[in-house]
Amino acid sequence: MEDSENTTKRLAPPASYKAGVIKLNLPKKPTSKSKQGSGQAQIRKAGSLWYAIYLPQLLRFNEPQQQEYLNKLAAVLENVSSTISFHPQALVCEIRSSLKYFDGIDAIHEKVDQPIKEALNQLSLPDYFFYAACPTITGSLLLARADINALIYRKENLRSVLGKLSTKVLQLDKEQNRRLYNMGVRHLRDIWRLPSVSLRKRFGSELVDLLKKALGEAPEPTRNYLPPPTFSTTYDLPYKVKSLDRLLPLADELISQLCEFLRNRDLSTSHLILSLYHEKHKWTDININLRQANRCHKSILMLLETHFTNLIIPAPIVAMKIIVKKFDDFMGLNEPLLAKDKPSLEQHTDSNLNQFIDLLKARLGAQFINSVQTVAEHIPEYATQLLAYDNINGVKQKPKSAPLMPRPFWLLNKPKQLVLRSGKLYNHKSITIISGPERIESRWWSDADVRRDYYIALEQNGSRLWIYRERNRRKNWYLQGYFS
Amino acid sequence: MKTYSENSTKTLFSKAHKDPCNHIEDIQERISDSPSIEQLINRNANVWRGCDMADQLAHAQSTGYPEFDNILPGKGWPQNGLVEIISSNWGMGELQLLIPLMRSIVQQSQWILGVSPPHLLYAPALIQAGINISQVLIVGLDTSCKDALWVIEKALQTQNCGLVLTWQNWLPNKVLRRLQLAAEAGNTLGVIFKHADNKNSPSRLRLQIRNSSPHNAVFNIVDITVIKARGNFQPLTTKLKIYQN
Repeated sequence: MEDSENTTKRLAPPASYKAGVIKLNLPKKPTSKSKQGSGQAQIRKAGSLWYAIYLPQLLRFNEPQQQEYLNKLAAVLENVSSTISFHPQALVCEIRSSLKYFDGIDAIHEKVDQPIKEALNQLSLPDYFFYAACPTITGSLLLARADINALIYRKENLRSVLGKLSTKVLQLDKEQNRRLYNMGVRHLRDIWRLPSVSLRKRFGSELVDLLKKALGEAPEPTRNYLPPPTFSTTYDLPYKVKSLDRLLPLADELISQLCEFLRNRDLSTSHLILSLYHEKHKWTDININLRQANRCHKSILMLLETHFTNLIIPAPIVAMKIIVKKFDDFMGLNEPLLAKDKPSLEQHTDSNLNQFIDLLKARLGAQFINSVQTVAEHIPEYATQLLAYDNINGVKQKPKSAPLMPRPFWLLNKPKQLVLRSGKLYNHKSITIISGPERIESRWWSDADVRRDYYIALEQNGSRLWIYRERNRRKNWYLQGYFS
Repeated sequence: MKTYSENSTKTLFSKAHKDPCNHIEDIQERISDSPSIEQLINRNANVWRGCDMADQLAHAQSTGYPEFDNILPGKGWPQNGLVEIISSNWGMGELQLLIPLMRSIVQQSQWILGVSPPHLLYAPALIQAGINISQVLIVGLDTSCKDALWVIEKALQTQNCGLVLTWQNWLPNKVLRRLQLAAEAGNTLGVIFKHADNKNSPSRLRLQIRNSSPHNAVFNIVDITVIKARGNFQPLTTKLKIYQN
């Protein structure tokens, strides 16, 4: 009798549950008496205890999204347990080992409850969850799904508690549910009464295995949570350094540490920050963004060196720190098996080019690296634009149709007015019209009404020009481009 | 062994000083034994003759203009190195000359980089010329000269820029030499557009574009002079029809 008291207690008792359950919000903690009793010894013997959190609000998301949310919540559970396993809409963590440290299940629950709710709020999800704890993963999961906030210490008591659960907690498909219902099965204990061989035949081995796992009769493989990698390393300089060149060997050292870290984990990085700390000044951050994730020591160092060339530091440097902001999977290059087979030139080219552009960006800034783009527009000055290369990255342009009439390679930023003297046009020298006109009219609906006649012309010094005459306003002649 | 060699050098010196006639005879003897100049040249890898260079460049990239190919050593653009194109002003067909080359470079999925062009490069014209504009990069119109040179050098050193175009009116020979070496290292062709010729330039190829007739320019036709090319002896000029219509 004493034994059952120690191991199985209940919280605010719902009528159907009797012995074998402890409500978690029990005001009275397990007393020193119970600790001295045989219950404590049995707890140790019983093996692990699993605490399950079930989040039905995740059901409406697709699987990758659920996984993402669970990953974030798992970080909270890390406070109380080192073993966290993922399940559909649920997280289960091992808490037996931390019971003593936190002084009981209530303390653990308290430690988890608020942070999980906060995390759910942050993810803008409804902040509630169901929980339960018992010696098997599947068992605690089923209990949590049934919204029974129960704690069961001993395996022997599992059968009686789980038996009372409705078959809905198994989350079977519709057809199987109907068949179970037609067989007169309403609770799990009804299933246990059926012979397992025929059950396996009718419902597949999954269901039988699930029930076995719930009772602790079958092993439960888990997929454990691995915290995301973090890398941050600091180097305190023994003396103040004024010259950035002197810093390079030290940066070299830090970067080798970083590359070693990445290599060991088969990762690469595409964004890292190097912070330089000064005395009595705010630190300087150098953002190193890589177009292509990389872990090549040489190229990262070269980028850093390029960043250093333009950097002005407010004060001598006393410490240096590298933090990796973004980890990526490492993508190796595929080498052809036979050396003289077609080399994967394009892949090489892409990676080389990305490194090259990273280098240019580090030195000049992203705004100076441009790509030419066309715009569907009749007026020449609007038909082309320079875009920062970063903005168009990844957007594959569909091939555009070219205009029918010849167009010049150079366009002046602003058309230059030509001089008309005694019936002849002059730029630097006299101009002869070769062909034309090509009429371009557009924007008549706005104030910037454009009506022009374009001509191809030749200046006496040999320049091939693209000139136009306004048809509205003052009918002036302008030079707009060079056929180069 | 050591003593023997010391002795022999002593006797040689004493002979030369004492009797000049003997010395000449000695030299004559040696000449008769020694290999011919041809052999000497062939033996030394660092000595080469300009006229042989043309053959080495036989696999060059055609310019797309047969008359122009004919006056270039190797019948086309060099594989790497610097090319200077000199025209008294912009708009004399200097880009038109490069269009077939640019087209083939884009087809080889290499990139074209333009460094500090004088005006806005007009995208519809590039499309008209059959050049995929997504493989054309332009670096800053207003970057400083120092940065521009840095970009040119880096671009020439990288192997995936097939062509580096730059508009630099005056570069000292020292800089040109450096760029030429960079282009050789990266196996890239760099083209410098300029207004004035720079004698003694270390570039691989120097071209000048002129009007076909000095007073009366013709729209379609220009004169192209190869001022210097490795493997050429004298300047060659041809008339080139650069625009089809």
